[in-house]
Amino acid sequence: MSVASDSPVHSSSSDDLAAFLETELESDSDSSSESFPSEEAEDDTEVANHRLKKRKLEHLETVEEEGVENVASVTFSEEISEASSSKRPCDHPGSIKQICILCGEPVEQTGVPLRYMHQDMWIHQEEISRIRDSDIKFLQRQRKLCLVLDLDHTLLNTTVLRDLKPEEDYLKSHTHSLQDVSGGDLFMLDFMNMMTKLRPFVRSFLKEASEMFVMYIYTMGDRDYARKMAELLDPKGEYFSGRIISRDDGTVKHQKSLDVVLGQESSVLILDDTENAWPSHKDNLIVIERYHFFASSCRQFEHKYQSLSQLKSDESEPDGVLATVLKVLKQTHSLFFEDGGGYTSGRDVRTLLKQVRKQVLEGCKVVFSRVFPTKSEPKDHPLWRIAEGLGATCATEVDASVTHVVAMDVGTEKVRWAIREKKFVVNRGWIDAAHYLWKKQPEENFGLEQLKKTETEVKNDDVTLEN
Amino acid sequence: MFFHIVLERNMQLHPRFFGRNLRENLVSKLMKDVEGTCSGRHGFVVAITGIESVGKGLIRDGTGFVTFPVKYQCVVFRPFKGEILEAVVTLVNKMGFFAEAGPVQIFVSKHLIPDDMEFQAGDMPHYTTSDGSVKIQKECEVRLKIIGTRVDATEIFCVGTIKDDFLGVINDPASTA
Repeated sequence: MSVASDSPVHSSSSDDLAAFLETELESDSDSSSESFPSEEAEDDTEVANHRLKKRKLEHLETVEEEGVENVASVTFSEEISEASSSKRPCDHPGSIKQICILCGEPVEQTGVPLRYMHQDMWIHQEEISRIRDSDIKFLQRQRKLCLVLDLDHTLLNTTVLRDLKPEEDYLKSHTHSLQDVSGGDLFMLDFMNMMTKLRPFVRSFLKEASEMFVMYIYTMGDRDYARKMAELLDPKGEYFSGRIISRDDGTVKHQKSLDVVLGQESSVLILDDTENAWPSHKDNLIVIERYHFFASSCRQFEHKYQSLSQLKSDESEPDGVLATVLKVLKQTHSLFFEDGGGYTSGRDVRTLLKQVRKQVLEGCKVVFSRVFPTKSEPKDHPLWRIAEGLGATCATEVDASVTHVVAMDVGTEKVRWAIREKKFVVNRGWIDAAHYLWKKQPEENFGLEQLKKTETEVKNDDVTLEN
Repeated sequence: MFFHIVLERNMQLHPRFFGRNLRENLVSKLMKDVEGTCSGRHGFVVAITGIESVGKGLIRDGTGFVTFPVKYQCVVFRPFKGEILEAVVTLVNKMGFFAEAGPVQIFVSKHLIPDDMEFQAGDMPHYTTSDGSVKIQKECEVRLKIIGTRVDATEIFCVGTIKDDFLGVINDPASTA
């Protein structure tokens, strides 16, 4: 039985008093606070000025009427202009629970929902850009950029308990206590029926990244899950403090967007394993290789390898994927603030990121052989675009300047040419690996012989990078 | 603002409570049901202070439950527009800060924080003056004025300001500690 549902009795005394106070207080506040008059909108400024002068005069307790009128208009001209500017009707920059955050009047919910700050907070686009602009000064002083981090497969891997395979049962005895999460990396969340493994190096990653970036979490998980994971990653709440965006907070279903992130797009880097989640911010995105610790996660992405948990191994701590990405972040950050530059110099992380990426395969000229389907345009193929993004020159025909032939099969003409001319022959994994590791890989690890040995692996689009 | 008012409520009581302690049972159930709840009309019921009268019980057909109309005195808390409140800051961000005065949540927008206070991000986000003498951060107490209220069936939400004379931080436990 709830109180709300039953009807309170009409005890006249309390009702009358409440109503009386309500009206009394409201009328009182209207007349006393000059900042937000709603009924004075139609008043012209002259009337407003006059009123203000009057008030100021009362303050001064001056006697002479005529002379003071003039003096006051001079002395307080500044205040008058200020006051008259605040006299215009409130432009309702945002609302919370359908009341304006500036004037307290009931308003419609319009603009962008910032649900991660408050369930019912909506802020206008202009207000958001104003906040982004005003933030620059502060970020410049702190030498910080923004970094948006995905959770699953990027910073950690989570599985539902019932999906654990028998050979993963040993993990249950290796979990860390939830009382003190700062030391552990494997957690059993009984109440959510989940088990979570943090990616190796993630704590050092967050620590170092927090010095260069204002960090957000942006996940496709629900809010409770996002909060819980943030607690595991950031037990002291020093990295994310309220900047946790979950599926429930986004503006478009099944997509992520920077519109709810309070940072200039030219200063936001994104770290995510799913490129498609960010359709309109691909240039800000650093695609990270998926972290598959649990077998269920491999199944989900139709990976045919054994998971790390089944192999009882893990990514390497000092030179794993996160450590590699951290280097890229550092590089981009220092490029942005290099030579006293930064926000004022008009630099854009998107171009800087491209610049960093372009150094990876700089000087390579790549020809593809039997990689693309014949009927499609090779330039449209993702691998072509990746290779170009990494700074390699792509060509369709062989010539003397070609350095690498990317092939899937030994028997092609181009491969035979390459062997004859002593050029590198690699499989497509060489490009994928360079893409994820931000570093040119030794060609001998990606020869076509390796391809044969691991025939099954090629069917998956990824390459094993786990050490 | 607090009020001492008389409210009435129909209490349904299970037959197992009938007997010598009927009245005590009724009162303790009333307290359990009512204290801490909120109605849009009267605000939050803080505490029951006394029972005015217990009416005649009406036996419900089929269930054996009995409904008693109970009149009780209680202290309620209802915020009003224009009222000055003291509240504890719970969350600080770029948009402003949230504070709580008992069960009432209040949001103070950045626009309604004095212009000389600037937002500082970091592990303990706060608003501070350029000389650092005043600091609004989590846990500190502020005096604010309510400029708008939104009353729902079970919750009252307010928007406030500290951009006025005699408003702002009144006690910062972090700085005194």
